[in-house]
Amino acid sequence: MSTSENFPIDRVQIAPLDEIVERHQVWSRMAAKYGVQNPVPPWKSSLDGICDALDQGGCGPDILSMPDRRREEDLLSATVYSDLPHPENQLVSLAHSLVVRGVIDETELQQRLASVRARLEVWPSTPAAT
Amino acid sequence: MTDHDHDHDHTRTVAPMVDEVTDFEVLEIALRELCIEKGIFTAGDHRRFTEFAERIGPTPGAHLVARAWLDPEFKKLALAEPMAASREVGVDWLEPTGFGTPSDFTAFHILEDTPTLHHVIVCALCSCYPRPILGNSPEWYRTPNYRRRMVRWPRQVLAEFGLYLPEDVAIRVEDSNQKHRFMVLPLRPEGTDGWDEDQLAEIITRDCLVGVALPKVGVTSNAIVDTRPAIHPVQH
Repeated sequence: MSTSENFPIDRVQIAPLDEIVERHQVWSRMAAKYGVQNPVPPWKSSLDGICDALDQGGCGPDILSMPDRRREEDLLSATVYSDLPHPENQLVSLAHSLVVRGVIDETELQQRLASVRARLEVWPSTPAAT
Repeated sequence: MTDHDHDHDHTRTVAPMVDEVTDFEVLEIALRELCIEKGIFTAGDHRRFTEFAERIGPTPGAHLVARAWLDPEFKKLALAEPMAASREVGVDWLEPTGFGTPSDFTAFHILEDTPTLHHVIVCALCSCYPRPILGNSPEWYRTPNYRRRMVRWPRQVLAEFGLYLPEDVAIRVEDSNQKHRFMVLPLRPEGTDGWDEDQLAEIITRDCLVGVALPKVGVTSNAIVDTRPAIHPVQH
């Protein structure tokens, strides 16, 4: 399915992604805040894994082909997400492409973001059993 | 015994980490989970591709070039049968991930520099890159500025990387695509007589293998790690 060639995807606003852009928790800022030296965020390899799995595994290429994914990433990174550095712009552009295609519903994304965050923010009061 | 009843110094042994959950971390997990739940790819696919992304780097490419500099027969092999030469440094282009990637066959080519010809690689369309032998592409390689300007103003773009080539050195820009990937075989620099493969490989950086730098004694890292504004920016 090709979207960007005949549909102005950069005119579509996706509220959960806009909120993420607004909060601007980009790696360079967070790393500086905590004195972390790693040049790339810890989720970068997993994002690469998502992109490769989409490009080469299962039915990914039928849903979002690699040329479309990269073309839309270029477009969105230069427009809607121009305030974000790489790889944050790659991640958000990928989410944008999947939502625009209807692969992921915006409400569904919002709910999943909330549930993932709730899961990650649970700090056990006692050490886990080993 | 308590958690910290041991005799090493955490201030020296534990690197600092970001101690809060960030939106981008959450988004990456959310996307991954939703794709897996919808059957777009499997968790196993994702894990294997992520491990592949973690494993690859420019070391095999650097050793291939170093070996070619030291061994004329290996250099002949590298130029005539680059896929066979790649196997000698541990890269199998027919199955680069090592777990049966269902990708199409990709041809790999090694471009030999001469005193009067310099090569540089690009992917004008997207960001095709010889990942199995050079690792993940740097950020600047993916940008429209690099991709579109390199094919128009190569001498100027190379100068932005700090590589100023004399006018009598021709520049050939090789455009990668889905089927053809390239790597540069630069000239061996002066001052490396008697060096072994490991010593030579240290100065053959990723940038040298892309063609935006030349190997130089004492230089073992890439000059530019971030993107920066272009002299002729691409107009959107």
